[in-house]
Amino acid sequence: MEALVISHQKQIGDKMLEGLISGLFKIFTSNMMNIPLIEPLVDYLMQIPLVNLLVALILWRPFFAVIILPGLVGLLIYLLWIVYWERKLTARVQWRVGPIEVARPIRGAIQALADGIRYFFQEAIIHREAHKIYYIQLPILAFIPILLPLLFIPAGNVVGIKTPYGIQLIVAFIALIPLFIVAMGWASHSRFAYIGSLREAFMYFAYEIPFIIAVVAMIYVYGSGDPYVAVEKQNIPGAVLNPLAFIVYIIAMIMATSRLPFEIPEADQEIAFGPFVEYSGILFGLVMTLLYEKLYLMALLFVILFLGGWEGFYVGILGDFCAPLVLFIKTVVVISVLVIVRSVYARYRLDQAIRLGWTSYLTLSIAALILGMFVGVLV
Amino acid sequence: MIRVEKVELNLVESLKRHVEALGEAFKQAIKPDRVTIEYPRERRRYPLSFRGFIIFNSEKCVSCFRCAQICPANAIQMEAHSKPYPSIDYTKCIFCHFCIESCPTGSLNSSKIHDVAFRKMEEMVVSANMMVKLPRILKEEKFTVDVIVKDKYWKLLRKKEMDDLSIPPIKVEVPKKIVTCAEPESCLGCRLCANVCPREAITVKEIEVAKRVVSYVLKVLTEKCVGCGLCVRQCPMNVLKLEVVK
Repeated sequence: MEALVISHQKQIGDKMLEGLISGLFKIFTSNMMNIPLIEPLVDYLMQIPLVNLLVALILWRPFFAVIILPGLVGLLIYLLWIVYWERKLTARVQWRVGPIEVARPIRGAIQALADGIRYFFQEAIIHREAHKIYYIQLPILAFIPILLPLLFIPAGNVVGIKTPYGIQLIVAFIALIPLFIVAMGWASHSRFAYIGSLREAFMYFAYEIPFIIAVVAMIYVYGSGDPYVAVEKQNIPGAVLNPLAFIVYIIAMIMATSRLPFEIPEADQEIAFGPFVEYSGILFGLVMTLLYEKLYLMALLFVILFLGGWEGFYVGILGDFCAPLVLFIKTVVVISVLVIVRSVYARYRLDQAIRLGWTSYLTLSIAALILGMFVGVLV
Repeated sequence: MIRVEKVELNLVESLKRHVEALGEAFKQAIKPDRVTIEYPRERRRYPLSFRGFIIFNSEKCVSCFRCAQICPANAIQMEAHSKPYPSIDYTKCIFCHFCIESCPTGSLNSSKIHDVAFRKMEEMVVSANMMVKLPRILKEEKFTVDVIVKDKYWKLLRKKEMDDLSIPPIKVEVPKKIVTCAEPESCLGCRLCANVCPREAITVKEIEVAKRVVSYVLKVLTEKCVGCGLCVRQCPMNVLKLEVVK
């Protein structure tokens, strides 16, 4: 009797699992990426049970947008590239050689990977005065505002969550990142970290308002906060439609991600990396890449707003994959050009940067807003 | 005196300067003017006048001690071999190469080796027989770099070849000289010349008249004299002279 009950329960359990798997499979396959290049491989893998669930998950459009491209995997590739490229480019302009000893035949191109591996196995020291709980969890929590905007960044028909308020949501989540940096400085309980987080807070007010005004100006131009509408309306690129907002946005990108000449919160020579001074090991690896990730997000939005988004070339064989690829390439190119400011400028003082932010920069952004209103009527 | 005046910065001027700076950055990023030589992997082609490790040719050396006397760092000691030959203490040597320039026969010569390594402090005193040939060279470089300076701009020209690190010896025309005594009557018979002669080419003979030493006669063995001139410098009466033998 008991055996019968157990086998009956087992049958019910199996049925539920089967139902769950088939339900998930149905959800995944209903919205799958169509890439003609790998279609034979996908067709073959879809015949194998359980593997087909995995393949369907990876090619499920929302998952692909957030995790593969332009999401996490793209972010990782970009990080490996930009850390090396920034150092190399700055060295080149300043008549140095830059990182070269790791993998010499390719001129040290895997330096960032080597550094990342080293961070992984290095001891993460938590000093006695640190607020231990916040100190450890904040670098990990800081990924929330990094990952959330990726949900709303579309690339063609590959998108995490489709919403008409995409641009506003991206800006809102990007604006959360400095809070985590300030909190890290507070949790570190060090004088340098304290000064650094104070400077970060000051700089936050200097760039965030013109930045938001510039984005609002572009929303006026396109008449909607929907990234799809923004890209659709860019027969002429947004950079030409509203050049003032374009300039304001570029300066905001430099200011918000602590590039020189606004490298004030993490002034290496003065306060030794500011809010992140106490971090070491993998925690330092996480916080060091934080601003690069912020730059990536802002550049993605920049490409969508000003440079025509994912509209570019279309290769038939790549299918749906083409749009994320175009967006990613555009973003990486924009950032690769942008990091050159690091090699020529010296650092502003905090008061100079704040004066700039609150006077001419704010004025420029308001001018951009007015221009955006006029252009919005015309377009 | 250069007086730096305050720059009037208006909007146009500062924008111009920003564009200039970024333009220069882009120019350097595309084609940098850097003159870095990645040393162990490539080596600069040094000129033939380079002052490097010192090479010694014992066949030419006349043991005249001039190198040891002129050395400002007192790095050269004469060591006893079949003749006195110079040994160089590289803890002291300042690579001024006065020794090479002072050498009357060109037996000392420079080379392009500047990266000499020793295992111990004691090894840094290099004796003459160690200097006869170039030291063992570990060559890592694959490129030789020529530095071309044109109108104050430096340019590097890399060639995939190994540079020869030896320098051909300077040919010194040494006329055969021997010492002669110009005024034998002034000779004091002090024998300083005979004592200083490294080849024992000078002998002093006393001339006796009625068991009294009247004067002295210097006898120079022409086949032994190398014309180093040490005796000329030693003679207190300045009667010795070097004469060119035809």
